[in-house]
Order: sequence, then C-alpha cells, then structure tokens
Amino acid sequence: MTLRLRLLLMIGISMILMWGAVALWMLHGLDKEMQRTLDQRLAMSAHMVAGLMSQNPAAWDGRTGKAGPSTLSMPVAAKGLACQVSMRGEVIARTPGATPESLATAALGFSERELRGEHWRSYTLETNGLRVTTADRLTERDTLLRNVTVAAATPFVAALVGSLLVLWFGVGSGLLPLERLRQVLASRTPDALTPIPDKPMSRDLLPLVNTLNHLLGRMSETISRERRFTSDAAHELRTPLTAIKTHLQVARITQGTDAEVAMDYAEEGVARLQHTLSQLLTLSQVEGAFSWEDGSVADANEVARLAMRDAVPHALERITLDSDGIRAELALPQALAVTALRNLLDNALRHSPSANSVRLEIRRSPETISFHVFDRGPGLSDDELALATQRFWRRGSGRGSGLGLSIVAAIAERFGGLFELLQRSDGGLEVRLTLPCMVGSVGEDFKHVLVPSKGSKMPTWPAK
Amino acid sequence: MRVLLIEDDELIAHGILAGLRAHGLTVDGVRTAAHAEAALSAAHCDVVILDLGLPDEDGMRLLQRLRAKGMTLPVLILTARDAVQDRVAGLRAGADDYLLKPFDLDELVARLQALLRRAAGRSVDVITHGPLRLDPASGEVSLHGRAVALSRRELALLAALLHAGGRILSPDQLKDSLYDFSEEIESNALNVHIHHLRRKLGADVIETVRGVGYRFSAGKA
Repeated sequence: MTLRLRLLLMIGISMILMWGAVALWMLHGLDKEMQRTLDQRLAMSAHMVAGLMSQNPAAWDGRTGKAGPSTLSMPVAAKGLACQVSMRGEVIARTPGATPESLATAALGFSERELRGEHWRSYTLETNGLRVTTADRLTERDTLLRNVTVAAATPFVAALVGSLLVLWFGVGSGLLPLERLRQVLASRTPDALTPIPDKPMSRDLLPLVNTLNHLLGRMSETISRERRFTSDAAHELRTPLTAIKTHLQVARITQGTDAEVAMDYAEEGVARLQHTLSQLLTLSQVEGAFSWEDGSVADANEVARLAMRDAVPHALERITLDSDGIRAELALPQALAVTALRNLLDNALRHSPSANSVRLEIRRSPETISFHVFDRGPGLSDDELALATQRFWRRGSGRGSGLGLSIVAAIAERFGGLFELLQRSDGGLEVRLTLPCMVGSVGEDFKHVLVPSKGSKMPTWPAK
Repeated sequence: MRVLLIEDDELIAHGILAGLRAHGLTVDGVRTAAHAEAALSAAHCDVVILDLGLPDEDGMRLLQRLRAKGMTLPVLILTARDAVQDRVAGLRAGADDYLLKPFDLDELVARLQALLRRAAGRSVDVITHGPLRLDPASGEVSLHGRAVALSRRELALLAALLHAGGRILSPDQLKDSLYDFSEEIESNALNVHIHHLRRKLGADVIETVRGVGYRFSAGKA
C-alpha cells in the first residue's frame, strides 16, 4: 500500500467517523426538536379552536337543540392536520377526513393511535364542556423529518467528498519531495555510491538525504578498501604462484641437478604461498565474527614459550626472554596471543643480523600484560612507521607476507589491547604489544573479559 | 640473444633465469632499478624483461626514464598487476609487450623472440639467408635443406650475426650476446666458436673485418 493511500485512508476514515458521529448527534436533536414543535402545533391548534368555539356558544348551542345531531364542517387548518370538536359525546364539528370514531374517544393530552392502518398523534383538550381533539399523521411527520434531513445532509456530504478529494491531492503534493527522492534513488545504478545531490530537495528531507549520503560515503569507503585488499591479495598470491609455476616448468625441461634445484625452489614457493594464505585466513578471522574461544587459558609465559618455539624452532638461543617470573593469564584466546607474539618475533628476527639476538620482555601492570620485543635491525623511518601495519606493506623487498603486523594490530584492536612501534634512539626497533589480562577467577569472568571493550582505541600512527 | 631480467623477487628471478637459460638464451638478472641502469650501460643486451614492483623505484618510472634517455631496446613488462589501466599505462610508458604473472615459460620465450624479430624489422620468425635457414624458436639450422647441428653458443653467435644483418659486430658485442655477467670467458672462446661455425657452414659465412669485428657475409653462405 502506498504512503499516499495509507495517509488518505487514515485521515479520511477518521474524518468520516467524526463527522458521522456529529451528524447523528445533530439528527437526533433535530428529531426531538421537530417532534416537540409539531406537538406544540397540535396543542396550539386545539386551544385556538376551543377559544373560537367558546366565544360564540350560540352558534352551536341553538342548533343542537332543534336540529339534532349534525356536524359542522371545518376548513382544513393545515396540511395533514385533523380537528374534531365534540360536546357530551357528540361531534359537532370536524375537519374533512377525520372520522367520528377516530378522534372522539381520545383521552386528554397527547396520545398515539393506529386507525385504518395509519398512525396518528393527537391532542385532546376539554373546556366548558367542549372536547377539542387535534391530530396529525406520523407518516407526514416522518416525511417532513426526512426532507429536513436530506436538505441538511446534502451540503454536508458534498463538503465531505470535497475535503476527501482535497486531501488526496494535498497528500500527493505533500509527498512530492519524497517521490522525487525515490525517483532519484531509483534512477541510480546499483554501484553508484556518489552522494545524492541535496540542491533540489525539500528542506524537510535534508536530514534524510544527509544521512543517506553519510551512509553512501561509508559504504563506498568500505567497498574501495575491500576492493584494494582483494586486488592486493590476488597480487600477493600470484607472486609465489608464479615462482612455483616457473620452477616446475624449468624442472620439466632440465635434467639432473638443475631439475632438482628447480623442484626445491618450487617447494619454497609452495611454502610461501601456504604462509600467505594462512596469514590471510587469520587476518580475516580476527577481523570477522569468528569465535576464537577455544577454552584454553593463555598464560603469558606459555604464550611466550610457544611463540618462540614457532618463530625459531631450531635456534631458540637467538631470543632472550626476560619475564621476571610474572604469572598472569591473558584475556584473549591462547592461539591468537601466540600468533600475535610469533609475528612480532618473526619480524624482529627477519630484520636483525643473524649474529644478534632479539630480546623479549614481559611486563605486568594491574590490568594488562605487555610484551616488548627489541631488535637490532635497521629500524624504520617515520614514513615507514606509518605504513608498517598496512596490509601487504613490506620494507624494501622483504620476504614476509606483509600481513604479520596487520594481524597483530587487528588482534590488539579486537581484544582492546594496544600495539605500538617505537624507533629506539640507539638503533633498532622496540615493538610493544599490550594485552588485557584476566582479573579474578578464570571461570566466571572469562567470557565477560573476552568481549572487546568498546572504548579501546588504537594508537594513532606513527607511534613516536 | 641476450636478455636483461629486472625482477626483485629472488625465487621468481631464479626460475626465469634457469628457464631462459634452458631455452638457450643468455640472461642476466638484476634486482633493483639502479642495478638495471648500471647493467644496461655496461653491456649490450637485446631485450629487457621488467617487473614493476621494484624495491627502489617503480618499474614504470624506470622505463619512462630509460625511454626519455633514448633507450630503444624492446621491453617486456612482467607483472601481477592485471587491471586494464595498468596494462595501458605500461604500454604507454614505453613497453613493447605485457605478460601477466603467472606465465608460461614457453610463452615468455616466444614473446621475447617476437620482440627481437620485430626490433630487427622482420615479421616471420624464421631467418633465411640464401641456402641458410635458422629457426630461433626451435634452434634448428639447415643449410641447403640439410639440418646442421650447432651448440648453444654457436647458435647464439649465428643468431646475433644474422640479427645484425650486414652490420659489423665487435668482438665485445658478440661476447655480450653469448655470455652473461656470471660467466668466465676464456680469451680465445669467441675465436673458437667462429672457427666451428665456419667449419660447419662454410668458410666464408663469417667475414672478418680486420681491426673492427665480424659480419655475416651477405649472399655467400
């Protein structure tokens, strides 16, 4: 149902109901008033006849004595009005049409009777021995009432129909700006995300148009970001795929050592592809609605141990751990905490000369645990610090997937933590990952603490 | 044919170098735009393969700069950027061909040969000169309809001389066509190969221009 029709029905029906009730009320009053007026007419007529008769008794007294019963005919007083005068039971005068039996036996005052199939209302008056009865037909009263009603109702109905028509066009023109907006929206292509022009719009619709434009702006930002990400991801996957394909083709056209070397390279390419894919998957899961609650408790030391084992399974001595025997449980799933820390260690090791070690420090505050990773690498410039957490950004032609730090930032953001990159004055980089830790018992608070706090904010980059 | 590969990804570069060498091409690989410029000014090369995502400079800008400096070598862009506007921009920047990663090695070789052929002003791949016929794609050489077996170096030497038409090539230019930077060259290696070619194809097929170099001897083969 269109808005126009709905508005029209709502306003129209309530208007008809209200005015109908008013009309009924008025008709009721009119009916009562008319009955009273007509009754008054009956009584006044009776009094008038009685008065006239009593002023000249000789006119009818003498005649009764000698002529015996004979009736005096009266002219018709008014349309439909009948009158009869009697004395001691004898009718001495009557209007034509009034039958003797009809009115004579009437009791005093008003009464209603049915005579020869017609309903009558009569008024009887007795004065000086004279009995005067006036009467009129109820059907005539009804006809009169109907005529009055029709006369009164015709302009009323005309006014009602007229106002409904005005309402229809009024609502239509009132909704015109909305219709224009609808046409503007309907004529857009599905991928048009440009703002709706607010120039020809009605002022009432400006807030709506502004909200729509705001939404469109956010959508277009999201879509272009996702598109860029998809294209970047495709590019990233193509690179190892190219390496694999090329080496496989070399292996096919060469023999001996050359072919073996090519196969080794192809396998390296596969490993790189696998790494990029799993990093992409992790990132999409951290940023998406994926539930990570695996039920395992993330002890800070255990997280550090697992992350170190994953980062350098064969050269653990490259990492120095300084944890001061801190025992604390992190308020995020162990798998994610390990992933984040491993990415940081991977990164630090990749950019450090192989002779130098990377230092990992764990520090505790009442509500948080922070992991500090110090490396001896070349560090990052201010510009590079700003880019470091962007997806697929690498320093130079680095070997990683370019997603490691993006994943750490996404994990920190999701669980209300903080991720900072700091250029150290003595060279190298300090990376700080601060994560919320568990307060109270594991059982009850676990779920509660896991929900990322809404107020948590990521630091603005570059972190100095 | 000597190829310069500009590609920063080590794994891919290894693959292309090995693949092109297996196809009998002489290839040098560099990883940065700066090295590419140095390599181009240091030695002769016939065709350039360029990756766009270089660590020190965008490949497209490098190409524009080289073209502005008057480099006329055929350039094939090898990239994972597949959008139409990327390809258009690449071709406008001065590239002669555009190949998307991942690619087929055979296709890459065929495209390189096509580029070289067009640069030499020919439209068919097979080079015929009198009774001599060379198919660079398959490496087959025939003289008077009889197949002649040539080694990889001999083939490259013959191709270089044929591509040059009747121009004289200096010994250094010929060596550049035969060997990449990583190879040790014996002082008399070129003479040995020329000697072998003369033995297989006829003594007067290569003319020695004393003090200048060598050229393919027109009409005598």
